[in-house]
Amino acid sequence: MERVGSLLRARGLCREYGTGAALVSAVKNIDLDVNAGETVAVMGPSGCGKSTLLHLLGGLERPSRGELQLAGRRMDGLSEKALARLRLSTIGFVFQAFHLVEELTAAENVELPALLAGRSMRAARARAAALLEEVGLSDRAGHLPSALSGGQRQRVAIARALSSEPEIVFADEPTGNLDSASTLDVLRLLERLRVAGQTLVIVTHDERIAATADRLISMRDGSFIEEMRLAHGSSTRLGELAGFER
Amino acid sequence: MGKVFLVSRLALADVRRHPLEAGLLLLAITAATATLALGLVLHGVTTSPYQRTRAATAGPDVVAGLVNLKLPPKVRKGPLRSGHETIFGTGEQPSKARTASFDALAHAPGVLAHSGPYPVAWATLGVHGITAGVAAEGRDRATANVDQPLVTKGSWVGSGDAVVEQGYANALGIHVGETITLNGHSFTVSGLAVTAAVPEYPDAESAFGVAPFPHPGLVWVTRAAAQNLAGTHPLSYLLNLRLRDPVKATAFVDARTNLPLSLVSAQTILQKDAKLVEVEQTALTIGSWLLGLLAIASVAVLVGGRMTEQARRVGLLKAVGATPALVASVLLLEDLGLALLAATAGLLIGWIAAPLLTTPGAGLLGSAGAPSLTIATIGLVTGVALAVALFATLAPALRASRLSTVRALANAARTPRRRVALIALSTRLPVPLLLGIRLAARRPRRALLGALSIAITVTTIVAVVTVRAHQASQKIAGFSAIDNPRTDRINHALLVVSVVLIVLAAINALFITWSTAIDARHQLAIARALGATPAQIGAGLTAAQLIPALPGIILGIPAGIILVAALSHGDKTVVPGTWSLIAVSAGTLLVVSALTTIPARIGARRPVAEILQAELT
Amino acid sequence: MSTVSQLPDRGWSRSYELGVVQEVLLALLAKEASYGYQLRARLQLALGPLADSLNPGHVYVTLGRLEKTGLVNSEHIEQSDRADRKVYALTGAGHDRVKEWLDDTSWPKPAPAQFHLKLVAAAVAGLADPVRLVDAQRHALLEALGAAQHAALAEADGAVASLLLEGVVLRLQADLRWLEACARFWSSKGDR
Repeated sequence: MERVGSLLRARGLCREYGTGAALVSAVKNIDLDVNAGETVAVMGPSGCGKSTLLHLLGGLERPSRGELQLAGRRMDGLSEKALARLRLSTIGFVFQAFHLVEELTAAENVELPALLAGRSMRAARARAAALLEEVGLSDRAGHLPSALSGGQRQRVAIARALSSEPEIVFADEPTGNLDSASTLDVLRLLERLRVAGQTLVIVTHDERIAATADRLISMRDGSFIEEMRLAHGSSTRLGELAGFER
Repeated sequence: MGKVFLVSRLALADVRRHPLEAGLLLLAITAATATLALGLVLHGVTTSPYQRTRAATAGPDVVAGLVNLKLPPKVRKGPLRSGHETIFGTGEQPSKARTASFDALAHAPGVLAHSGPYPVAWATLGVHGITAGVAAEGRDRATANVDQPLVTKGSWVGSGDAVVEQGYANALGIHVGETITLNGHSFTVSGLAVTAAVPEYPDAESAFGVAPFPHPGLVWVTRAAAQNLAGTHPLSYLLNLRLRDPVKATAFVDARTNLPLSLVSAQTILQKDAKLVEVEQTALTIGSWLLGLLAIASVAVLVGGRMTEQARRVGLLKAVGATPALVASVLLLEDLGLALLAATAGLLIGWIAAPLLTTPGAGLLGSAGAPSLTIATIGLVTGVALAVALFATLAPALRASRLSTVRALANAARTPRRRVALIALSTRLPVPLLLGIRLAARRPRRALLGALSIAITVTTIVAVVTVRAHQASQKIAGFSAIDNPRTDRINHALLVVSVVLIVLAAINALFITWSTAIDARHQLAIARALGATPAQIGAGLTAAQLIPALPGIILGIPAGIILVAALSHGDKTVVPGTWSLIAVSAGTLLVVSALTTIPARIGARRPVAEILQAELT
Repeated sequence: MSTVSQLPDRGWSRSYELGVVQEVLLALLAKEASYGYQLRARLQLALGPLADSLNPGHVYVTLGRLEKTGLVNSEHIEQSDRADRKVYALTGAGHDRVKEWLDDTSWPKPAPAQFHLKLVAAAVAGLADPVRLVDAQRHALLEALGAAQHAALAEADGAVASLLLEGVVLRLQADLRWLEACARFWSSKGDR
């Protein structure tokens, strides 16, 4: 279906905590447009509000003020129930701490969204198997999270986030808790998603992930400071970076 | 000495940190001990009032009753029983031989004096729109030498007058000066009186051995009036005997069991009078056992909720060099200390509340006096309190103290159980049941305790319903249903026990739901983040409580009926109607649902992101 | 290594050289004598996609240089069906040079001083806002990082060339971190 306008649209988004003298503004007046198929990365020092922003965009928290539209629907005024339904059908979320259910196997974790959506056991199982295949963890389907490495856990979490074929996937520091080898695995997966046309909004510290995005937004103290469009350059100049000389 | 001090300080610090849990523990055990104390204190409360009444009325040592009834020809039973059962329609036709042996009793060896035989007519009493059955004893105006009922209000019998036994008058609300009808004839109530010869209402029939209807009341009229009331029916008779040696009364009665008469000794009458309080005592004692069981379940739940934190404290203690014994003693001291406190509180409550329940009955003189706490009572109550606490906390305390230091410090939180079968089953069910099963399966011990708590509650409620049904079945056609003091007291005691039990069980259910919600908040937050609505989460928490409640109800219903049957000493047990059982089941499920929505709603308010963030720390 | 930012992009450029190629070729010959094309193939394998930017004749020119300095010997081999080929072999001096190289622990020099001084100069002379300069440089490095990361991901798992690309990526990451620190410093300076 052709959509006119952006997939995700925020205007004047604010999130404040506390009152009076103790008022803390985590997110100040953010305007953002994300088009379908785009990958947007948000970087900033810790405490700048990027995680809060992502929670607002993903419907995990309500904004104090502002407008938020996803796939043409207003999000900011929705009830908790409607937001939940939205999270189920349209949004996928990946957390820094993975947030897998400890006592469920990888497959059982991945089938959870489908079950919550009311699909039959068989359909949910099949979907989970397909997703685990996609992230390359079919052989680990029956393992508990405690038996998986950090990178594998995050890939299970990503598989789970993709369960409902979401229009947009939000990732909050997806490699924040990972070592470099696992980071590469997750990076590979995110890149595949990007190439496949998935809309991604990623909050990250890791320049490597940020560099593969279409747009990079820098955030500080709750506001956007600058935005960069990254051209995906060729590797011709890499030789210089590797030590070649003219 | 230093160790004791240290242990006490640690235990005290822990209590101060969790005042709510400590308070609940105290409440649960106190409920059980208070009920037990009340039950124990009621023992022997009737003896003095009976003696007082006996002295004031020149009470007899033996009462003989001769009941003559005109029976339909086909209903012929054997010899009269001197037992206590009343069966409609038994009795014998008047016969010369029986009357002769009855009259001979007045001059039997060992008999010092006698009064009567007094004629007794069985009559229908009408007053205030109530119809009931009474025994109308015909008396002289003159004072009898044995058993002269003491008039407490008004005056003794005269022509056209009736004097009503005080216990009976209280039960029916009859006052001096009112008009009653006996077999249709009007009588004025000239006075109320007490007697030691006939057990107070509702056990008057024991003096006769048998009666044409259960629980007759007792009224006194003139001899002439009694004969008139009998009409064409044969009269029955009462004979009061004083023995040379009052102690030999039982022997006197036992030696004459072959006689087709009813003979009861003063001791038996005292027993009958005491029965009034006895049943109350029984109800309270049984109630206290049930409360004790519930208290064990409550304490176990409370203790279970603390386990993860305990593990960390254990680790800290061990890391600074405490032995496993010391560690276990810290854990135990806290709970046992609270149990002792509960025992004290229970005894206090029992002592204070006892006067409210120790009235011996309106049919006897005076009050029972201040109840005394015997050493035995104190010991038993304290023992029960400690036992409850021990049962619930010993195993976890020992287990915690045996944890290796490293594991304890790493807070090897009890990992939830993983049941593959249940998880697989839950995937076939709608979302609330899916969540409910998984939540319940994570902590099977807690689910079991929840089921037990419900089972005990349902047992009690069903027992009460069964008793009520039994009481209702006692209604006699043609007579109004009057509550007699005995049923009043039973119901009163049952009500108190039921209310306390239901309140405790409700608190239990709330606490279990709350700790389930806390314990599973990570999993639930994930579910919410993935798109479960707050309503689904709430329904899941409720389902997690209802699923164990079902076996609790299924167990509790027969248990309640069996309990009453066991206590009825072979009386035919009336099974409560299907509708009332359905009502109890549905009511329990509804109440549990209602209770569980409260913590669920509170939990649903917090934004998901906040909960997930909190899980990282 | 010079900074990359101000150099014009010449498109498909194959004009780079690699200083260390001399020692590498010597080392490759240490095991056995080889043809020139064999040496070139090995080099290409090790450099992966980056090999394309190397001057195609670079290897042969270097071999010639090595011969002149006496570290390598060559031999003509007559071929019946194609052009004559040279076989190269290591001399004794060549062996010594290889050993020396392998034992040498000196590291190619990074040069933060260049950019640092650029920023200072811009601030002092008032010609440009240092923060803007940093941002521009960040942009360029990010794009380079993106390219390097893509190249790295394109490599097969376990290919030796991916290690090289990882090295490029991580060093770029380190440089970007430093640039972030520069941005913080110069923007706070600017706030005063």
